[in-house]
Amino acid sequence: MSEPMLKVEGVQAKYGDFIAVSSATLDVPEKQIVSLIGSNGAGKSTLMDTIAGLHKPSAGKIYFKGEDITGLPAEKIVTKGLALVPQGSRCFVRMTVEDNLIMGSFPKFARKKCAESLERVYELFPVLKEKRNDLSGSLSGGQRQMVAVGRALMTNPEMILFDEISLGLAPTIIKDIYARIKEINKQGTTIVLVEQDTHRAIKTAELVHVMLKGQVVLSGAPKDLGEDEIKKAYFGI
Amino acid sequence: METKSLASAHKPIKVLDGLVMWIVCAVVVVALYALGVTGALPNNTMRYLFKIFLYITMGSMWNLMSGFTGMTSLGQQVFVGIAGYSVAVMTTTYKMSFWMGILVGAVIAIIFALILSFVLFRMSGMYFAVATWLVSEAVSTWFTSWKYVNQGGGMTVRTTQIPRIGSLYLMALTLCVLAVVVIFLLLRTKTGLGLTAMRDDADAASSVGVNLFKSKLLCYIICCLFIALAGGLFFLNKGSVLPSSAFGIDWTVSMVFIVIIGGIGTVSGPILGAIVYVLLDEFLSHYPGWSNIILGAIAILVIIFLPDGIMGTLQKKLHFEIFSQKRFSEHKKDKKIEDAANAA
Amino acid sequence: MAQVLQVVINGILLGGIYALLGVGMTMMFGIVKLTNLAHGEFVIIGSYASTLIAQAIGVDPILTLVVTVPLMFLIGMGLQSGLINRVMMIGSEPALLVTFGLSIILADALLLLFSADAQRANVPYNISSIKISAGLSISVLDLIVFCIALVTIIILSLFLKKTYLGRSIRATSDDTEAASLMGVNVKRTYAIAMGIAMATAAIAGLCVAMKWVYYPSSGGSYLLTSFGVVVIGGMGSIPGTLVAGLILGLAQVIGGANYGQLIAYVLMVVFLAVRPQGLFSK
Repeated sequence: MSEPMLKVEGVQAKYGDFIAVSSATLDVPEKQIVSLIGSNGAGKSTLMDTIAGLHKPSAGKIYFKGEDITGLPAEKIVTKGLALVPQGSRCFVRMTVEDNLIMGSFPKFARKKCAESLERVYELFPVLKEKRNDLSGSLSGGQRQMVAVGRALMTNPEMILFDEISLGLAPTIIKDIYARIKEINKQGTTIVLVEQDTHRAIKTAELVHVMLKGQVVLSGAPKDLGEDEIKKAYFGI
Repeated sequence: METKSLASAHKPIKVLDGLVMWIVCAVVVVALYALGVTGALPNNTMRYLFKIFLYITMGSMWNLMSGFTGMTSLGQQVFVGIAGYSVAVMTTTYKMSFWMGILVGAVIAIIFALILSFVLFRMSGMYFAVATWLVSEAVSTWFTSWKYVNQGGGMTVRTTQIPRIGSLYLMALTLCVLAVVVIFLLLRTKTGLGLTAMRDDADAASSVGVNLFKSKLLCYIICCLFIALAGGLFFLNKGSVLPSSAFGIDWTVSMVFIVIIGGIGTVSGPILGAIVYVLLDEFLSHYPGWSNIILGAIAILVIIFLPDGIMGTLQKKLHFEIFSQKRFSEHKKDKKIEDAANAA
Repeated sequence: MAQVLQVVINGILLGGIYALLGVGMTMMFGIVKLTNLAHGEFVIIGSYASTLIAQAIGVDPILTLVVTVPLMFLIGMGLQSGLINRVMMIGSEPALLVTFGLSIILADALLLLFSADAQRANVPYNISSIKISAGLSISVLDLIVFCIALVTIIILSLFLKKTYLGRSIRATSDDTEAASLMGVNVKRTYAIAMGIAMATAAIAGLCVAMKWVYYPSSGGSYLLTSFGVVVIGGMGSIPGTLVAGLILGLAQVIGGANYGQLIAYVLMVVFLAVRPQGLFSK
């Protein structure tokens, strides 16, 4: 088996004295869709923030494409080809949709491809092209998520981490966004989906990691594990 | 779920406010009174102590606002100025006693503070800070062109009304003791606890039923009153008052310096800070022009390297407190941890 | 009628320089979330730099911008990355007090260096004016100062709108974490914002020096004016800055020498109390 694209080894992350992630170990193979599921407070978001460089790990190692990226700041990690779509979209609300997207091509290597990437994003989300001169703060929740996804795509990533992208969205919109994510994956980008909804995660992903109380307690392909075992790990019973 | 790591966060804090502490404080105060009454101190020493007492009063009051209730003001000098002018106007224009001047200054300060509170309390943080400064500058500008107070030319206090340094010393000592006691008692009441809660989290404090406006107002009025009294005594001793010296930003500079050096949010900090300030100021007067530069530089270095000031750092390092008051960094730590727990 | 028009024109021309004073402040406020209480002193440093360089080599003070703008930009970057970024890690209140300390230090350092004497940058067109009709004229100096201010503000807003760096500055002001996910180094962006604020202070300083006499202690009142512009216009809003500058300019001219400043201060306090988010903020 070839080396996984992203390797997380025993990562610990703290806020002050509070340990949000005690020891997380997981692999993400190239070109796959991988789900990270767990209940509220399991430490999923903290782990994503830590991988993307928003939060410094207090122990453990993170390798991306064989390179040690542990403790690098977010602005460096994005240049390695690893992008995060943070929880709650986090659009630049006082900037237009197009300015938001162009911000995604801020890294030097992405700037050359800016026009091309922009075309790709508009193809994926035609509604954004329609609204490209609107302030992103005026968009609906689903559209903001599209902006956030598009913005991440503009950085020319080889892997995108999606942190609870379905949070607070209507089921039809979630379905639509998931379809787009599959499309992005087909174009060759590795995907990590953070989810609370086990069912949806199992349906979409080729590999599932379950987090409980700051640890990855179960990993495997959904068809090998079965929904019951995953649910047990999820609730810790 | 991570409660065990929460509990291990800090060691228990010893509080030095037992009988021994009170006896020491009482002895110091009685000794200072005795020295003043018997006239055992040389005039020069009394002048220093007079200044120290006034600066303790003003520093403690600024600390009450900024350190304990989170209202950082850059404009408390307006009350110093109002009191200074009241003393001058009452004694010179109306030929009354200086007591009348100080009383009028105090009354005007309270009324002015009441009026201002309606405007200022709508703001917080940097808006509050700069708005207080704006108010002070506006009053200063007004006094500079107001004929009643001789415009920019300033006024003098009627010389026959200026008490001897011995009496001024006793008045300042009394004011200073009162100020510290009032703050100490205030912080122990429900209002005081509410105020510190408000500084740490205004929303949470109001949701548990702390009447923010009333508590803040009480605190603000006390602060303005004491600063006015200190200002009145200061100009009574000085004998003359000018718009630039009465409403000068230098007053705020010294209050901020005293609190930062001593330790913001500690009752004992400003006492130490005021002593350091007066001694340093005296020392720096040999280097004209440099004093604010050096004071400013020291303050910046202290903020960077000792953000809790001298007393705050000592208390943290040695785990004790003089005049028990919860230090806010402990509160903040807890709050951050809770936030983190919620976020995760 | 001509008199009223004259007042309006003077107010507008004055408003230009006020807007310029506020623009650096509003950048720091909106992007770095820092109230820079030393902004007034930065302006006065710009005044001294322009006056002294112009005197020393005998050129028009406006030409000194070639030197003062880049110089102040670098000083600003150094100050932010060396000192203020560090203090901001401790908290916003300490950062406020550090800039307060800086303002006190700088004002007294200027006093030591240049004494309390009044200074002014002399320009040949100091007293010339363009006559429009009877009782209505425009001072050439005022017009030049107004144009400098306007051009600076237009260039700045184009820079913020159209360039990658400008976009990254706006993005940082909206959401620092999201910006860093786009590859933006937030601390460096803060340093650049401070550099730009200082550069605008250099230009404002030149305008102040050409238009009025100034002293080492003048910083305080320019700080308050800058703050007033930010408060009335809304933080981080450049069009707001322009409008606020005009409002304050008019208030100042209408109030005249005795009450202009007082009216301006009262106006600011009223705005702070009634609409602290400013006219142009959502």
